[in-house]
Amino acid sequence: MSKTQIEDINRNIYDIKNKDDYDYKIEKGLTKQIIEELSKQKQDPDWMREFRLKALDVYNKLQLPTWGPDLSELDMGEIATYVRPKTKMSNTWDDVPDDIKETFDKLGIPEAEKTSLAGVGAQYDSEVVYHSMKEDLIKQGVIYTDMETAVREYPKLVKEHFMKCVPVHDHKFVALHGAVWSGGSFVYVPKGVKVDIPLQSYFRLNSPESGQFEHTLIIVDEGASLHFIEGCSAPKYNKVNLHAGCVELYVKDNAYLRYSTIENWSKNMLNLNTKKAIVGKNAQVDWVSGSFGSKISMLYPMSILNGEGSKTEFTGISFAGKGQNLDNGFKVVHNAKNTSSVVNAKSISKDGGTCTYRSLVRIGENAKNSKSVVSCESLMLDDISKSDTIPVNDIRTDEVEFSHEAKIGKISDKTIFYLMSRGMSEEDAKAMIVRGFAYPISKELPVEYAVEMNNLINLELEGAIG
Amino acid sequence: MEELKLNQTPVRTSRNYNINNIKLKDITIPKEIGNFENLKLKGKTSLVKKASSLENMELKYGVGIVNEPNVKLQINIIENLKEPLELDFMLNEQNRNLVENIVINASEEAQATVVLKYETDKDLQGFHNGIVKVNANKNAKIDVILINLVNGQTDNFLSIENVLEEQSNVKYTVVDFGGKNSITNYYSNIKGKKADSTINTIYLGKENQLFDINYVGELWGEQSNLDIDVQGAIKDNARKHFKGTIDFKRGCKKATGNENEYCTILSDTAKSIALPMLLCEEEDVEGNHSTSAGKIGEKELFYIMSRGFELKEALKLMLRAKFNKVLENIHVEELKEQIISEMEARLD
Amino acid sequence: MLEIKDLYVNAGEKEILKGINLKINKGEIHVIMGPNGSGKTTTANAILNNPEYQKKQGSIVFDGTDITDLKTDEIARNGVFMSFQLPEEIPGVTVANFLKYAKNKITGKPVKVFQFKDELKKYAKELKIKEETLERSLNVGFSGGEKKKNEILQMLVLNPKLAILDETDSGLDVDAIKTVSKGIEMFKNEENAVLIITHNTKILHSLKVDYVHILVDGKIVKTGTQELASEIEENGYEKYRKG
Repeated sequence: MSKTQIEDINRNIYDIKNKDDYDYKIEKGLTKQIIEELSKQKQDPDWMREFRLKALDVYNKLQLPTWGPDLSELDMGEIATYVRPKTKMSNTWDDVPDDIKETFDKLGIPEAEKTSLAGVGAQYDSEVVYHSMKEDLIKQGVIYTDMETAVREYPKLVKEHFMKCVPVHDHKFVALHGAVWSGGSFVYVPKGVKVDIPLQSYFRLNSPESGQFEHTLIIVDEGASLHFIEGCSAPKYNKVNLHAGCVELYVKDNAYLRYSTIENWSKNMLNLNTKKAIVGKNAQVDWVSGSFGSKISMLYPMSILNGEGSKTEFTGISFAGKGQNLDNGFKVVHNAKNTSSVVNAKSISKDGGTCTYRSLVRIGENAKNSKSVVSCESLMLDDISKSDTIPVNDIRTDEVEFSHEAKIGKISDKTIFYLMSRGMSEEDAKAMIVRGFAYPISKELPVEYAVEMNNLINLELEGAIG
Repeated sequence: MEELKLNQTPVRTSRNYNINNIKLKDITIPKEIGNFENLKLKGKTSLVKKASSLENMELKYGVGIVNEPNVKLQINIIENLKEPLELDFMLNEQNRNLVENIVINASEEAQATVVLKYETDKDLQGFHNGIVKVNANKNAKIDVILINLVNGQTDNFLSIENVLEEQSNVKYTVVDFGGKNSITNYYSNIKGKKADSTINTIYLGKENQLFDINYVGELWGEQSNLDIDVQGAIKDNARKHFKGTIDFKRGCKKATGNENEYCTILSDTAKSIALPMLLCEEEDVEGNHSTSAGKIGEKELFYIMSRGFELKEALKLMLRAKFNKVLENIHVEELKEQIISEMEARLD
Repeated sequence: MLEIKDLYVNAGEKEILKGINLKINKGEIHVIMGPNGSGKTTTANAILNNPEYQKKQGSIVFDGTDITDLKTDEIARNGVFMSFQLPEEIPGVTVANFLKYAKNKITGKPVKVFQFKDELKKYAKELKIKEETLERSLNVGFSGGEKKKNEILQMLVLNPKLAILDETDSGLDVDAIKTVSKGIEMFKNEENAVLIITHNTKILHSLKVDYVHILVDGKIVKTGTQELASEIEENGYEKYRKG
């Protein structure tokens, strides 16, 4: 990463708005007709059309959650569910329309592809506009494509896994997702194949008052390994945007998957994303998650440790500023012997923002000799913000080692004095402490994401302190 | 009968986690509460006054079952009581149901230890649903020792509420052993500057016992403090739900809150759920919580057994060591002995 | 270089310094000694204007600038450094990055990365600080000795005009004290000055000291040369205490 690029990044680039220029936009609201129409438009096979309609039924039956942030401002009748930009998918950036390409250019995606990624997918509103992958991975049988293509070209693999890990009954927004999903990525890594450099998908919501419902399905077959990165952003519009994506990860026996996310949706977004991983014998899934944007976020990635000796690690940070309510956390269910989980969650609240860490650790009857270590740390940067920790620890057997620790507080005056005695202003000192606080997460990210995150922190702290 | 949802947490989480409240189906709430006369007093008994009515008995939280009380007591502490004041409630054939409302008012600078003990006659199916309120004025210091030794046929409900004024200190020591279902609700309103609220609990569950423990402390006063420490063990099919909330309210500058919970699981069918919440809307505070669960360390067990103790004895010894910190708060020797022998019996 | 005049300082309600006068010229090494609670650490913190202490009266002038009410970072950028008795731990910020950033701030211009790294490694070696330590989070999990040596490393890298060493020698073993003294010797030249605050005299054996001040109950009760330190070593502070 060159230095100039570091300096170039500022919030403005996330706020670029392209003209809301779509060639097809369905009626607002959600009815059976709309789903039928959507399904036709997407040229779904029959099973998928039926699946969508069933999901719609479930959606209509389920209630909104009775806990967590207030979602009353969300009126599904007002949100157009499907926006398709004026382009077909391409595998070279030259074919991507200029205004869309320019947006991704400013976000640094094509540049990152050249330097440090094995493959890139880019989604603009509801459609994937770009997908490509390095030649040698294709030769090894790695599949990386958009979800619609996968439904058509890999029906067996998709049908076997699609919304099996996250069933539509999970909650109302998963059911909604099942009915209207569009775009997203499909990855298959064959047995024993190690993908050394990361694959990346970038999601961008451009149209006002729209929803993004991308579906990500990743299957890492036995003994294979993969690092997948997901980035999200949207410009600021006045109307509320909804993001109800779904991520399903299948990590088969002895496989390894690292899933990293930096989410920087604009601050009018409702981010109600569902992410889950099923982990096989001696396999491991690691989550790295940075949550900076959105007005409301309810995001609780989940690992289901079904295989003996399986492992998971979660490293996450939330940073809530003015008007933001970030209700994030992690869930893990230990379902087999000798499983282990490590959770390291951090949050920062400032300017009246609210961070909540909400979690579940369940060690089931069968999970003899399992271990779980959870640590939460919350930082309050002023006295108008909020920070809550709501962890549920459900232990159903005796042969376990379980511990949970949380602390909350502010940056100590002594520490600030120490840094100021080394020539730093109060703002510099606080920014340095906050960056250090976030370091366990940023160190897990690829360098350009880590730089982006640090810049976000600096940006967020500018003028906010003092 | 209809399902009761009791002991609600101050903040809800996902319904699937089954912890926002406790649902009880097989509870029999007696239609007729009747009288309760079997109360024995020790210490300065003249302080315990029967009240014809008590004011402000509404609860902010509470267990959630309300009965007309059959015992109404007001205890006004105005001085420094040297001897503990003991109230022993014994449920028996003639006094099956106990619904006591107790208000303890501590004047400025007053100090006292109040012991509340609940027991049942063997084989009696009793019912207990009490309310204990403590109002601690400036610089008052009140220790409450609560001993629940009711039998396994009796349902035990207890709601506690405290108001702490400036520099007051209210400390609870709770021994929660008995009951078919033992449901406890505790709420401390820590209003005053430098007020200090503590609750130390030990519980011991066996067979099909259920413990639902819901402790909430709201810190409003500057430099106020809250300590919650809960240690326990469950065996057989016993279940324990622990919900502990430290709530830092805006303005409680330099307040501190600590919560510690450790559950020793002694069988592979016993179940422990913990929800240790930290809620915070003030910057200048220090809050910590930790919970852990697991069986007794094998290394320690091995060490003790290598000194000639059999397994059961070694277990007892180690649990006793864990509980000692709480037992040390109890300065009434015969009471302590009773608790220890009860503990031994429950671990056999 | 530094002139403190008639300084009164409180910590909260409590009066700690009750009229301190002190003048330090460039090229000098001064020592303030005194029993626990006499106000030594307060003196150091007052010079850096720690907001935990309130100045009631008096002034501090450094290199012609009145720094009495300047913010701590401005004082640091004027060339005053303090080695802390209890250095703070900063998770997630490595020693090297921290110093690079601080050096930028102190000098007001970007440091040359390679030159900086070489310099840092050179000083670390002299102070027997392992190279790995430079990539560890600042002071996190450091032993007492490591923390103190790290403070000296910071002094060498930031190269202030005046270095105040607050109890830098306390709690150190003989070898560590030697290393710290060596650091001070490396730092010291004709253009800068050092103020050592201590309650024992061990470190003074290996350093050539110009002035020794005895601080008792918030006042400097005696000023002398190195011999005064030896006298204290023998007889303690008893005779300087009131009543």
